Amino acid sequence: MGYLNVKGNQVEVDEDGFMVDPELWNVDIVEIFAKLEGVEALTENHWKVINYLRDYFKQFGIAPMIRKLCKETGFTLKEIYALFPSGPAKGACKLAGLPKPTGCV
Amino acid sequence: MKFKPPLNVAKQADVEAMGFTFTPEGQRPAKALKKMAEMREKMRSLMVMLETCTKCGNCAKQCHSYLGTEDFYNFPAARAELFRRVYKRYFTWSGKIFGRFVGAEDLNEETLAKWITYFYQCNECRRCARYCPFGIDTAEITIIARHILTEIGLVPKFMQGVGVNLIKTGNNMMIPKAAMIDSAEFMEDEIREETGVDVKISIDKPNSDVLYIPSSADFFSNIDTTIGAAKMFHALGVNWTIPSRVLEAGNFGLLFNFRIMQEHNGRLKAAAQELGASLVLQGECGHGWRAARMYTNGLSGPTPFRLRHILEYCDEHLGELPLKKLPMRVTLHDPCNYVRAGGIVEQPRRILRACVEEFVELTPNREDTFCCGGGSGVLMDEMYDIRMKLGWMKAEQVRAVGDIDYLAMPCSICKAQLPPVMKHYGLVNFEMGGVMDIVGKALVLKKKETGEQGVISKQNSVQLER
Amino acid sequence: MLFFIGQILPYIAAAVFLIGIGWRITKWLRVPVPFELTLYHTTKSNWGRVPAIGREFVLFDSLRRGDKRLWLWAWLLHVSLAMIIVGHIVGIYFLTHQFTIIGLSEEASSRMSAWIGSICGAVFFAALIVLFYRRTAIPEVKQLSDPADYFDLGLLLAIVITGMHMRLTSHVVDLPAVRAYLGGLFTLHPIPIPQDWIFISHFTLVNILLIYFPFSKLIHMAGFFVNRAMITQLPPVYPSPRGVSRTITFTKEAANHEI
Repeated sequence: MGYLNVKGNQVEVDEDGFMVDPELWNVDIVEIFAKLEGVEALTENHWKVINYLRDYFKQFGIAPMIRKLCKETGFTLKEIYALFPSGPAKGACKLAGLPKPTGCV
Repeated sequence: MKFKPPLNVAKQADVEAMGFTFTPEGQRPAKALKKMAEMREKMRSLMVMLETCTKCGNCAKQCHSYLGTEDFYNFPAARAELFRRVYKRYFTWSGKIFGRFVGAEDLNEETLAKWITYFYQCNECRRCARYCPFGIDTAEITIIARHILTEIGLVPKFMQGVGVNLIKTGNNMMIPKAAMIDSAEFMEDEIREETGVDVKISIDKPNSDVLYIPSSADFFSNIDTTIGAAKMFHALGVNWTIPSRVLEAGNFGLLFNFRIMQEHNGRLKAAAQELGASLVLQGECGHGWRAARMYTNGLSGPTPFRLRHILEYCDEHLGELPLKKLPMRVTLHDPCNYVRAGGIVEQPRRILRACVEEFVELTPNREDTFCCGGGSGVLMDEMYDIRMKLGWMKAEQVRAVGDIDYLAMPCSICKAQLPPVMKHYGLVNFEMGGVMDIVGKALVLKKKETGEQGVISKQNSVQLER
Repeated sequence: MLFFIGQILPYIAAAVFLIGIGWRITKWLRVPVPFELTLYHTTKSNWGRVPAIGREFVLFDSLRRGDKRLWLWAWLLHVSLAMIIVGHIVGIYFLTHQFTIIGLSEEASSRMSAWIGSICGAVFFAALIVLFYRRTAIPEVKQLSDPADYFDLGLLLAIVITGMHMRLTSHVVDLPAVRAYLGGLFTLHPIPIPQDWIFISHFTLVNILLIYFPFSKLIHMAGFFVNRAMITQLPPVYPSPRGVSRTITFTKEAANHEI
């Protein structure tokens, strides 16, 4: 557990670096996460994935199925890994401020 | 020097969020001893297995954990010694009188730190028990040790996270019902796109005959397994549904606390009664199968429904399924909880042989197979290096079998652990997934409109007793 | 002193041994098996377990599957021990003339008894030495061992050495006297122990072993059966209208969660 300094605000993250309170998500946090995750620059493609994840999370309270994410954003799984090196669950979900998917994943 | 466990331990707030009491440091040994005394009266296995070991060491070369990590305490008898030494000191005459002569040791915080380190590096695969002259099952000791640790508030963050989700929603991933329905609809769309056939995946359909309990990961990352099962049910004309209150075959309680296991197991019974099902089918989940099959009697008492596994069911109805063999070379990773006292040994083989052109065996296989390394929920990110070592024996087995197109692994933890393991050891030229995935791909579903002769006309005459 | 060793200690030893083992087994069996622990079953009925457990008992299959050298020496140790125990009972009672029932002369029977006894003793001795050596030579086994593990082997070595001394050297044992003495113990009319120091050492060491037995890992003799009976239990069958006779709850305070 620790805190990320986001433009003067302290945002709490858990041991895996995911946001403890998804409500506090904003654009500034994404940039900080991106650096930590090894994403050099946030492109339109990154934002397409992040926005889709945020919308789905707002509607259903959980991350979408990986295949649905791929289909709805138009990227293959490989492309998503290229955008987010840690993958859809551990990378993209982190940047989108979702809680970490747990269990057998 | 204080011993540091290689995993994140849950903090007080986390432990309390799960409904457990947190014990402050310093008070833990005393409480742990009380719990040990309790467990000793509840489970015969604890006393017998701790007292019968003759330290012959046959288990060492058979444990993938020891062979992979080369850490003395991962040697099954040594792992049990962490517990046995304390047990002797406080619960046996020889330990109380002779102390170190018989290897008795006091329980202190250092020992507890070792416990949480090493009992979470045991995959509870039970391979050691196969080679032990007495059949001592180190997994039993690990399960009880983890239970005691959780009761005194020492639990890995990973387990706590899953535990909280399981308690709140009945599945490890905290998938709420609305998301389940959305996912089910997506899967129906996928099937329609692929085959043109309308296969219905219903959630909480009342008056169903069959309740299918997938692993929650089958609704997130391994959807081919669910799709395969849905196609099979469709082909057999079964009246089935998925219960939303227990979308989780995998009873994580088995992996760290009996109370949680008991609670989750109770959900199974409640769901079956509510939806009126007489047959409950567990999905591709190793620990879920063990927990349901071996523990339901003891945890939830009289069980009025039949409990089978999806692979058993598929195997029984294999002859009725219209299958077209896939041109693949496939091998099978036997999940520990299927072959070692799960009773699911030959079924996946028969199914695969019927679905693919070439099926090859790993060596060793069946009861002697090696664990994937993720067993008992050792899936924490912070233990990645150790996990890769735990998976080493499995990687060597797959390497030895030569070129394959597909590695079948009908268990969700294996599906989460083996892809990174195989990648780590440079084995990348094949796909990985469950057995029902293959069944789904090999099934030839006919469209309703074309007035089939085959399977779909059998819709309402399938006798489930067969 | 000799009175104590010869006429009191054996009874103490026998009592501690029998009551100790009985008590230990009872303690185990009193605790329930709330969840079926089946490791692997191949039988359809509970009685079908008997041949399976029996086979493991006689052949030590699990060891053979693993480390073949360990299997050989552990197996030889136990087989020779069994032969020695039977040989003592039969040989002393019949004063080494037990083979007359298969047509040998008393002379020939004594010689055969001596041969078989010596070979078994030698094998037992060799096996103990090998296992002792193994315990010091294999690093993980050495790290795992307690002083008690070496003590067990040492005690058995002392017993077999004193025993073999009576067999192999020119030391002549008065067998009828020994038979009379042991008979006295069994019939609860003890007589003074024969004044043969090697015999006295051998016999006393055995008594010490009997007293030590129920408190040590030698209890694996009983543990083998109790454990194997547990892990070859038949797996449950569903539907199970009765369930088990008691549902196990793990704590008095139930977690207050909505199911």
